[in-house]
Amino acid sequence: MEYAIETSNLKKYFGDIHAVDGIDLKIPKGYLYGVLGPNGAGKTTTIRMLSTILYPTDGEATVLGFNLIKEASEIRKRIGVCPQELVIYPRLTARENVHLIAQMHGIIKKDYKERTDDLLGRMNLLDRADSLSKTYSGGMKRRLNVLMAVIHEPELIFFDEPTAGLDPQSRRVVWDFIKEFQEKEGTIILTTHNMEEADDLSDELLIIDYGKIIAKGTPSELKRKLGEGDIIEFKISNPEKRDEVIELATTLDFIRWGKSVGKRRILLNALDGLRRISDIMDVVKVEMKDLSVRENTLEDVFIDLTGRRLRN
Amino acid sequence: MSSQLNKTQKPNRLWHLVVKNLKSMIRDKANVVWLLGYPILFILLFRFAYGIEVFEFMGAGLLITGPVVIISTLASHFAEEKELGAIQRLITTPVSRHTILLSGLFSQLIVGAIQIVIILIVAALAGMTFHPNTNIFLLFFIPFLITFTSLGFGLILASFIKTSSSAGGLAWFIILPLQFLGGTFVQEPLVDFLPTSLAVKAMRSVMNLGSVSFDLVGLNLIFITLWAIGGIILGIILFQRKTAIL
Repeated sequence: MEYAIETSNLKKYFGDIHAVDGIDLKIPKGYLYGVLGPNGAGKTTTIRMLSTILYPTDGEATVLGFNLIKEASEIRKRIGVCPQELVIYPRLTARENVHLIAQMHGIIKKDYKERTDDLLGRMNLLDRADSLSKTYSGGMKRRLNVLMAVIHEPELIFFDEPTAGLDPQSRRVVWDFIKEFQEKEGTIILTTHNMEEADDLSDELLIIDYGKIIAKGTPSELKRKLGEGDIIEFKISNPEKRDEVIELATTLDFIRWGKSVGKRRILLNALDGLRRISDIMDVVKVEMKDLSVRENTLEDVFIDLTGRRLRN
Repeated sequence: MSSQLNKTQKPNRLWHLVVKNLKSMIRDKANVVWLLGYPILFILLFRFAYGIEVFEFMGAGLLITGPVVIISTLASHFAEEKELGAIQRLITTPVSRHTILLSGLFSQLIVGAIQIVIILIVAALAGMTFHPNTNIFLLFFIPFLITFTSLGFGLILASFIKTSSSAGGLAWFIILPLQFLGGTFVQEPLVDFLPTSLAVKAMRSVMNLGSVSFDLVGLNLIFITLWAIGGIILGIILFQRKTAIL
């Protein structure tokens, strides 16, 4: 199998802060690799290293077969980067912004003009293509930010939270765009906080926290790690009984685990949960409000692995 | 996956970046006002408020005011690039950091040259007269040399400043002392060794005396050149260090 990215013990320290602390990765070519993690977990720093913006403090990495340090210029010819921030020139038009990146990659004028118009059309920006980008809405700017990463048909694209702050329509346009690129066997590294996006798009996922990999696998593998079965979620009216309810419920053999969310909300992981709600009711003997049963989601996995504490 | 797009063997990245910078500058109204409005305002003020004699004597200094404003526009340009994250986005493409830096300097030089020509025309139209033996080349070249020194000051400032708005404001802490101590608005420079002082002296010799002598003009130009080279080298070192890949 050919790998787009291989890293070994990749580290990045900023003084005492270990932003990335020994990451080992093997990302096959043609994969869409989702990277999840709380704020400050080290996702963006990892991307910035792999896209040659930052030097690693230690470790080895190859990107598209080229050494990250010694052959950075070869890597830059072949990658596209869509940064988390909106990096567009406000006093250039959308067309000029996109052309500039194509020009930096040395694409001939005829080719980049045709491709720019095609991409602007698909991102629904063509009718405003000659307006200064400072006049665009937030969604338009973000779509333009994405276009500037793909104009030169890179072999590998880094998307750092490409849909942050987008409305559902714009988000779907960007998702379709990413899927289309993936179908052409391009490799994508996608960081996101949107679990639906990660679940829907990723071939494989990586969860990072405190600069280290804490889980990786396909979305279904990760969900299985949390346990087979369903999540039963309900509220109780008396918060003092919360711990007792969890204790009682977990004595049942089909309940794998139980946990509280806030004062009144309880989550139970149950095999065949929908059919056995009445059994739970018999045991816990409290009124269950706002009861729902659903499958494990990636968000459950994420919270389970990274906890609820807010990060800086 | 390989790209279907055709690529040129020798992409002119520097030129494309210069064009981008020029478009950005021209479309920024505040930039245009400072670059042209500020020096032209002083030319018209001295001409019509103080009369033709004062205007003619102060003319040399007034022609130096414009190029010094480049400190502000250059510092704002690079600070904006840093603020936007544009330098980081560009260095993920095949363009080198040196090319990005050079493009910023070249575009300011082009703007500086156009500014000098416009100011000279406005000054002439406002009634400024020149000695019959005035060397036309030096009339352009001395302010242009000051544009070079402004690049150095602007780059040094841009190295330490993070936002374009603060760069534009703080630049005036350099511009105003250079203008007032350098004698652009007063009869004689208050400090002799500043690049503006040297330029005013050289310009007066060229404009009012028609001189091209080494003592009155050449020596001053050598010292201004040293200011320019020193400033640009220091500016490049500091700027490269502050925007380095770490």
